[in-house]
Amino acid sequence: MVLLGADPVVETTLVQIVKAIVIFAVILQVVPVILLLERKLLGRFQQRYGPNRVGPKGALQPFADVLKLLSKESSTPTTAVPWMMAIAPVISIVTAVATLAIIPFGPQGAWGGDLGLYGIDVPIGLLYFFAFGSLAFYAFVLGGWASGSKYSFLGAMRSAAQLISYEVAIGLSLLGVAMMAGSLSLVDIVEAQGSAGKGIWFVVPQFVGFIIFMVAGFAESSRPPFDLPESDAELVAGYNTEYSGMRFGSFFMAEYIEVIVISGVATACFLGGWHGPGPEALAPLWVVLKMFAFVLFFIWIRATLPRLRYDQLMFLGWKVLLPLATLNVLVTAILLVVT
Amino acid sequence: MLFEQILFFIAGFGAIAGALGVAMLRNPFFSVLALVSHLIALAVLFLLLRADFLAAAQVVVYAGAVMVLYVFVVAYVGDSDAPLRATDDGLVKAFGPLAALAIFLEITFAVVGSSLSGLGGRGPDVDARYGSPEAIGDLLLTKFLLPFEAASFLLLLAAVGAVVLARKRRGLEDLDAPGGVAG
Repeated sequence: MVLLGADPVVETTLVQIVKAIVIFAVILQVVPVILLLERKLLGRFQQRYGPNRVGPKGALQPFADVLKLLSKESSTPTTAVPWMMAIAPVISIVTAVATLAIIPFGPQGAWGGDLGLYGIDVPIGLLYFFAFGSLAFYAFVLGGWASGSKYSFLGAMRSAAQLISYEVAIGLSLLGVAMMAGSLSLVDIVEAQGSAGKGIWFVVPQFVGFIIFMVAGFAESSRPPFDLPESDAELVAGYNTEYSGMRFGSFFMAEYIEVIVISGVATACFLGGWHGPGPEALAPLWVVLKMFAFVLFFIWIRATLPRLRYDQLMFLGWKVLLPLATLNVLVTAILLVVT
Repeated sequence: MLFEQILFFIAGFGAIAGALGVAMLRNPFFSVLALVSHLIALAVLFLLLRADFLAAAQVVVYAGAVMVLYVFVVAYVGDSDAPLRATDDGLVKAFGPLAALAIFLEITFAVVGSSLSGLGGRGPDVDARYGSPEAIGDLLLTKFLLPFEAASFLLLLAAVGAVVLARKRRGLEDLDAPGGVAG
């Protein structure tokens, strides 16, 4: 048996498989919680109760939602391309979950041994995030195109235009962070914000980058106020109009995973990742708390801001965020060389 | 090692299948998707060659940006009712196979000419940072500075050219600036 040999490479493979399962299982459980939280909070923001019928104070509402989705028929329009309609939600989930692997929850050895509390620590860290972010595009386009419906197609094209417009800004906004840390690896970036280095969270020196990242992050996850791909008044529901049942649920879940991923990357790149008071073993707690704050921020913004018009969206992306991000990179580079 | 071998064959067959799909599928939309899968399979092959940065750049630039434009255009313009057909032009029909044969022969010579010495060995030993962003950036800014700057300049020219062309075609300058007077 090769698998049970004492080869250290095989051991890390096993550890990685366990890590992958843990990450996937935890996120799968977190999504319904965020969903409930969002519905409850939206209710509060809008002066109503929110879901409160299923279970104590509506706590079991996610179960009801998931059961409903599971028991629904997955319908396929006659004009659709069925196999492509089936793989589009898979792509969206896979690209969203894959990015979770690089989010660091704690340093190596925080919980004993040389176990790092992250999926993988790749030297191309941030590029990995961008790579899967750009592949997420195909989920929208395939889903919308394969549905064989005009609304779906228009929604898909809007998502695509929005994603590529903001992909540039999000990339440039993180470049300043990468330059300050001198690495693309998220673990190195978090280390650079620790007490060993200059000991300052990058949100302070990279404040402009942080703002650009958050705005572009909202756009990347197609959340309000950037939910043009699914603007219900014009497009019914955008690229997922023709989807029903758990396929729709998969798109829905991918959106929430995307929110978690962006919160995680923002935590690692700008809010010092696992750094916080207390012993090192508490590291994951700080990461989760900071990510939770970001998720709340996402919900808060959703309840606060109205949707942008399409030309406003493009204007903001290309004429405000992009020049600002470029300027930020330029200034950071000059400052880094001078000091 | 076993895992890498399995991955190599999956990626290798994926790349070949993707390339065949580009040429043989009738619907242009599927052709473009075949090209996307081909590029992703190539990225996996780059990963197996320890070229992490190249793999990521391949996905971000080609699969994530260039192919996006292809998908856009084909989805809007490409009509599945009018599938791509071989042209009736006799000259193209005659020279197409010849050109393909020439490329095939050239590649065959190049591959066989190396006497396939890599097949027996385990490949060269490279250190872990070989294909990392640091190593690539270092090379680009030292050894290959001039080609790098030349390529950057070329891209800048292309970007400026695109802006100029788009500006001329629109003829809506007066609408861009509310209250502005059209020249």
